[in-house]
Amino acid sequence: MEDQKTVRVAILSFAHLHAYGYAAILTGLPNVEVVVIADDDAERGQAAAAQFGTTWVSDYRDVVARDDIDCVVICSENIHHKALTIAAAEAGKHVLCEKPLATTVEDAQAMIDACKQHGVKLQTAFPVRFNAAIVALRDAVRNGAIGESLSISARNPGKCPGGWFVDPTLSGGGAVIDHTVHVVDALRWIFDAEVAEVYAEIDTRTHDIPVDDTGLLMMKLSNGIPVSLDTSWSRPENWPTWGKVSIDIIGETGVLFADTSANSYEIAESRGPSFSWLPIEASGDPEMVTSFIDAVRNDTELQVTGEDGLRALQVALCAYESASKRAPVPVVTG
Amino acid sequence: MTTEIPSLGGPATAEELRSRPVRFAVVGTGGMGGTHARNLAGCPEVEVTWLVDIDTDRANKLAADIGGRVTADMEEAFAADDVDIALIALPTGLHRMGVEAAAKHRKHIFCEKPIARTNEDAQAMVRICEEAGVSLMVGHVVRFISEYMRIKEVLEAGTLGQIGMVRGSRVNPPVMERSPWFADVEKSGGVVLDLMIHEIDTFRWFFGEVERVYAHGLSFTEWHTKRDHSVASIRFRNGVIAHCEASWAHSAFRTTIEIGGEYGLLRQGSFDSSSLRLEQTTGVEYDPGIGQSSKAFSYMRPTIEPPHLREILQFVESLRAGTPPPVDGAEAARTLAVANGVLDSMRENRPVFFNEDGTVVEP
Repeated sequence: MEDQKTVRVAILSFAHLHAYGYAAILTGLPNVEVVVIADDDAERGQAAAAQFGTTWVSDYRDVVARDDIDCVVICSENIHHKALTIAAAEAGKHVLCEKPLATTVEDAQAMIDACKQHGVKLQTAFPVRFNAAIVALRDAVRNGAIGESLSISARNPGKCPGGWFVDPTLSGGGAVIDHTVHVVDALRWIFDAEVAEVYAEIDTRTHDIPVDDTGLLMMKLSNGIPVSLDTSWSRPENWPTWGKVSIDIIGETGVLFADTSANSYEIAESRGPSFSWLPIEASGDPEMVTSFIDAVRNDTELQVTGEDGLRALQVALCAYESASKRAPVPVVTG
Repeated sequence: MTTEIPSLGGPATAEELRSRPVRFAVVGTGGMGGTHARNLAGCPEVEVTWLVDIDTDRANKLAADIGGRVTADMEEAFAADDVDIALIALPTGLHRMGVEAAAKHRKHIFCEKPIARTNEDAQAMVRICEEAGVSLMVGHVVRFISEYMRIKEVLEAGTLGQIGMVRGSRVNPPVMERSPWFADVEKSGGVVLDLMIHEIDTFRWFFGEVERVYAHGLSFTEWHTKRDHSVASIRFRNGVIAHCEASWAHSAFRTTIEIGGEYGLLRQGSFDSSSLRLEQTTGVEYDPGIGQSSKAFSYMRPTIEPPHLREILQFVESLRAGTPPPVDGAEAARTLAVANGVLDSMRENRPVFFNEDGTVVEP
């Protein structure tokens, strides 16, 4: 381990809460250094720098140009992913970008193109396909546990995150853009298939916000398997856990039920505010971050790419289109 | 196709029915008919006077346990003067025939769900019962299951505020081997008309009329004779979005419901709420009545009044009070129209839209 090359990371923005999780993972990895945090919110940036024992600068442009970093982790508002990614690519820095990769297909494509042009890696932060339950689900499907897979009921319900997530000019959409991409990416990976078509019902029903909070996608995979996906922010603030990703695969000889939040314990703290379901062990994020770092360090292939991020984003955008047209929409993968 | 209604005496009046036990002819003594007959036999307010089945061995076996005269000819039972209510528990495609025969003889009618296979049959059944002046109740039993009655109260109290996403799931092992007629989708309507119709009816009861549906599933694939699984997206006129799942591909019976609203989330599941469970290492199969039973594992939800008895006793009460039945034929016909819309959507891969009166918008 000692002779491994140190990978030097900059985290661009802590707007997305996942930045805190990634920073904690990165600072715990051997031969990884979080060199600097860029955040235009000075208070947030300084606090994060103090928390993770690193330095803070305001402007990401001052960071990407530095020659003491190898790669960046982008956790800005969705709308800024493009500018930050392209700046990093132009400066020759590899990119791990929070999902959704962007808010439009054009932006996502521009990010992919810039990274390709400048010879840097672009990974979309899809931890679900690294989660132990999802890895085991894929193995079970591929090892014939349920015979042929026939139909899928999937869910990614959560709490309304509030803040910039509910400002469409910063997020690009609500629950559907936030929660479609994880399951779509996992299914693409499990089945080596694309989403061919999507029908969706989308609305704002349970919060006073200018973006959607209730969504149901009815998809068909390119291998013909029908999939339903509930993306709703249906968990109240005092729900004992954030939400979950669950995938039920109905097969010829049985049914597989995967739930990334099931491996948890219940705790009611008499001195605390609530009753919680807390994870027994973190799975997904550490493997996803480590996989990126390893690819940067060893210059190997990424396990998840920018194209994967684009494909998943496209499905979410087609869902919005379907809901407004009230008709199924083909997902054209170019 | 209108059936002549002969000018016989009128149906049993409220006053007559208040004065004595109410007498049933149970038509079809298979799964549901047998359950109803046994429930009714244990109840002092009612009497099972006739058991009708073309399989007279099956009917005779039941009669040996609970009494009642046996015939293979439903007309014979309906013509008898010791029948007030015809309980139709035939395969779905025969419901219309049974209901028409009973209406002709001026019997009140309890018909198992779904009311019919086709919307045309359902409408004809509603019409003939109106013309004959008999009451027609359809056994949408979920409205009489305690947990759904409680959920209805919670919704009406406004505890959850405006509702967003609703999920209902009803899964079962494949039934086609035991009841081969279910494998014929044209005849039975598959898993949608057998299981999903419960969620459709219950959600209509909760949220009102449906604006559109879109569905996926195996009912029209080569798999449908062995496995069926269907998911429907249902958009209600009040804006609620519902996800309904029905399956004949799981290994045990299970239902779940989840309702997400402005002020909270409600969840209920048949397995999680089972108050009595049985695990056997060896031994005999024990049938708990309501719940899931297999040799290895059973779960039960003992309840004060079984819902299949409750629905019929409430029908009897309505007849004795001279009021409409708790779930009438027109209501069941609307639920059926939505279920048939789900099947059409699945077959044709398009959303199916409904008019305000519940009729389908032609594409």
